[in-house]
Amino acid sequence: MAPLINLETEYPIIDSSFRNFCASHGIFSVEDFLIHDLYMLAAFAEQSMSSERLKEGITQVLSIIDEMHQPWLNGMELLEDAKRNKHVLPTGIQGIDLLLGGGVRIGQLTELVGPSSSGKTQVCLQTASNVASNHMVLYLDTGNSFSPERIAYFLGKTNDLASAQDKKSILQKVMSNILCHSVFDIFAMFDVLHQLESHLRYQDGGGGCQMRLLIVDSISLLISPVLGSNSTQGRALMLSAGYLLKKLAHQHNLAVLVINHTVGSEVGSSKPALGDCWKSIPHSRLFVSCDHGSNDYNVSILKHPSMASGKAARFLI
Amino acid sequence: MGSHAKSWLVEDENAREMLERVLTARPFLLLPPLHRVPLRVGNTVELVGPSSSSKTHILIQAAITCILPEQWNGVIYGGLGQSAMFIDLDCRFDVLRFSELLNRRITEAGSSCKVDCNKMDSEAQFARMKHYNEELFALCMKRFLYIRCYDSSEFLATLKTLHYRLQKDRDTHGLNVHLLLIDSIGAFHWLDRGSSSFSLKGDNRKSWNIQNVSEAVVQEIRRLLSLHPMLVMATKAVVLGNKYSTNELTRNYGKWPAVDNPYSRNVTSSDQQLPYREYMPVVWQSFVTHRILVQATDDDSVNDGYPNGSVYLLEWLMPPVSSLDKFTVTDIGLFILS
Repeated sequence: MAPLINLETEYPIIDSSFRNFCASHGIFSVEDFLIHDLYMLAAFAEQSMSSERLKEGITQVLSIIDEMHQPWLNGMELLEDAKRNKHVLPTGIQGIDLLLGGGVRIGQLTELVGPSSSGKTQVCLQTASNVASNHMVLYLDTGNSFSPERIAYFLGKTNDLASAQDKKSILQKVMSNILCHSVFDIFAMFDVLHQLESHLRYQDGGGGCQMRLLIVDSISLLISPVLGSNSTQGRALMLSAGYLLKKLAHQHNLAVLVINHTVGSEVGSSKPALGDCWKSIPHSRLFVSCDHGSNDYNVSILKHPSMASGKAARFLI
Repeated sequence: MGSHAKSWLVEDENAREMLERVLTARPFLLLPPLHRVPLRVGNTVELVGPSSSSKTHILIQAAITCILPEQWNGVIYGGLGQSAMFIDLDCRFDVLRFSELLNRRITEAGSSCKVDCNKMDSEAQFARMKHYNEELFALCMKRFLYIRCYDSSEFLATLKTLHYRLQKDRDTHGLNVHLLLIDSIGAFHWLDRGSSSFSLKGDNRKSWNIQNVSEAVVQEIRRLLSLHPMLVMATKAVVLGNKYSTNELTRNYGKWPAVDNPYSRNVTSSDQQLPYREYMPVVWQSFVTHRILVQATDDDSVNDGYPNGSVYLLEWLMPPVSSLDKFTVTDIGLFILS
């Protein structure tokens, strides 16, 4: 909420008389203009002495406000952007890729929900190893669950037929493409994401290896401590985190994969944690579970933009 | 002077002419599945429902009906041929699905008309048909205007500058907007409530809280409607309670803090209470003219004709309609069941 005085150097029309006029109506910053009635303000300006200059000032502020929102796009431009940039990243797990129609989609936030030891981290590690052969991956690890040995194991399995030399170079490439950060609270995550945002703004447009996947394992561990039962601040933090992830996904063409755990519900079955406010944040929600005794995993769709919920598949890791 | 005064008294049109003019310029819309109550510009429709209850899909269907022309190249599409604006506050809009649904509507309308055409030269005709469909697709997609907002400041900035943009569009392209769609009007509710108003410098300074933001939003939309008459449709995610609840939901329902009360109030109709907890401030609640409740059901018995679809239940809360509608959403689109 920067005060209006900061704008004077760039827009000389916002001089002290304009600022005094605004201050008399309780407006001290550009954000204050947003919740005020600008037509009323113009009517007041009409009645005062230097009405022309004041109205010019208001028009100038309106053009500043015009830059504060995202650009308007029409359907064709949206479609072109989607076709050109928002591809699908295969996870490398056949069952999941078939269910999702190719893999996780760039530009969307996909959530994996499941009880403990249901294979969620394994899915993330496998996806990271699959994507990292071509793109960069950022892995935000909240519970020290990132394991380079597992990545090497998955790579060994997929590149079974390659020579030892090739295997080694692939392993090196993948390992250098995965950036792993440990974050233990939500503010550290915000920090990392803001740094990522400024880094990506410079990276986009350049060639070379671009970041295409962001994994947060697990976001529920970061949000649950602040959520509490009656806390509006906690919910606001959770929603800001969700929107920041979606903004990164859309503007910088990332696929975001987050992990959530389950809590017991009154009926006895389990439901995803983080409550009802979180439900409308992810684009897709997948429920993962493990069959005890066998190595089989089940995944079913809780929510998806273009598929009915309830569709399920099995997969192996 | 006398002739001027007299010209005031001469009638411009009689009542029938006026009715005809108004009905052609501002037609009633019967958009399935909202076909029980006709809608027209100046109405504000609120689609209420829990998460994942096809609310956005209904908005998309309305947008498609709006952007398709009444008829084109001899084929009747039954649309309005005007622009539709989509303000995405949820930031979850899937343009690929939108274009798929639009394409299906275009090809369906085209193929149902084909029965009348001659059968000779069918390949050339097919190619020509495809070309026309693509042209129409591009034309319609250009009439669909989209914007995302990541917080309330962006939303307010969009609304404040919208009038100038629409005026420019009208002057340069002759585009008229008929539909304003807002996906999830309550999206920033908790964000705004969380940005608590610490005391700011200045006595008469308005703080950035949920009440002021909502008032500003409603005021801007009202201003916009007075200059560019449109039909406004907004979705709102709620948690169902009372008679619609399972045990899980009553637990959440009971947890809403008492501090809600200064800003919201249950709008009770005469007999029944609302089946969900209202959280939007009164200024928005009184702006809404029509309200619909949608929710998913597990009822598969009526779904024989449409496998792979989920069944949804639709209830008109304002104006209250006694019957419930059932519809299903499949890959292909939306179909009314009963």
